[in-house]
Amino acid sequence: MSRALHRFVPTLFQVCLLAALWLASDALARAIGSPVPGGVLGLAALLSLLLLGWLDAERLRRGAEWLLAEMLLFFIPPVVAVVQFQALFRSEGLRLLAVIGLGTLCVMAGTALVVDRVFRWERRRRLLTATRRHRAVTT
Amino acid sequence: MNAAAHPWLALACLLLTVAVYACAKWLYARHRAVWFAPLLFAPVVLVGIVLAAGIPYPVYIADARWLMWMLGPTTLAFAIPIHDQRAVIRRNPVTIAAGVLAGVALGVGSSWLLARAFHLPPELAHSLLPRSVSTPFAMTATDAFGGSRELTALFVVVTGVFGMMTGELVLRLLPLRSRMARGAMLGAASHGAGTAKARELGEEEGVVASLTMTLAGIALVLVAPLLAGWLG
Repeated sequence: MSRALHRFVPTLFQVCLLAALWLASDALARAIGSPVPGGVLGLAALLSLLLLGWLDAERLRRGAEWLLAEMLLFFIPPVVAVVQFQALFRSEGLRLLAVIGLGTLCVMAGTALVVDRVFRWERRRRLLTATRRHRAVTT
Repeated sequence: MNAAAHPWLALACLLLTVAVYACAKWLYARHRAVWFAPLLFAPVVLVGIVLAAGIPYPVYIADARWLMWMLGPTTLAFAIPIHDQRAVIRRNPVTIAAGVLAGVALGVGSSWLLARAFHLPPELAHSLLPRSVSTPFAMTATDAFGGSRELTALFVVVTGVFGMMTGELVLRLLPLRSRMARGAMLGAASHGAGTAKARELGEEEGVVASLTMTLAGIALVLVAPLLAGWLG
């Protein structure tokens, strides 16, 4: 019981901290009329702090991992709105499924083939520069 | 029947949502069947209950919207996995960028073209545009496109379920040589569901899928106002 509590308290605290940071970045984005939404602004700020070494990732890890692991729970509620759109789905449902299905296949095939090509090119380039550097050192 | 007149019903709906979600997770941990995947099982069961009980959506969402509110802090939480995986970005910056760009362009482009080809009404078409990125980003981007947050959330879920069911088949059909391509494909096309699948394939696939998913979400939110101007 106390072990569970030892895990629970820091997680809850870190989730509250992330929520506070989100409120702050959202308020800031609104106040300055930022074209970038508050969430992405806050994400960029947090990532900069981490990369600069001013913030230790371990201080937010549990909270962040909990939020990401349970994210599905947070977006089930808007999905229930389908009950409001029943007539729409009766008339457009099949076409919608076709668009999503075909679209997803396009994204899969296209992204995979592009990344496969680019990855091979990038690896070859990296090997080439490594060899050149090696030669420069040895000669 | 409005939400203010039914404070207990609204609270019960919030608790019910958490209970159905917990139940789906428990079931999926025991039986790894697609129908028990929380992404599919939880919304289907919940919609069934809400319909059967005749609860209007405004009553349902009155308290359940606090769950939805948590998507905001979740956006910030993505900073941790990006930071953890910075070595992968540093080693393959061009490959990761190519995956993100291809994923965003194809995700929005295919939705736009197909919605036109199938003559879908504008409200549906706009809500479809961000469907291939992770929910917190998709729901932000849909505001810029003039779509509906609720419809976008639904399309994101359907995309995830579709990707989960077809991902392996597509991988078997495509002649891919790199683990990078397999991961990027799953992360770009079907966000969290694809990333979960990629983790089953291997560690590198999982990392690349997670990075591609997150960076594609950020990229889409940033370019959505511009794209909205073009695509109208």
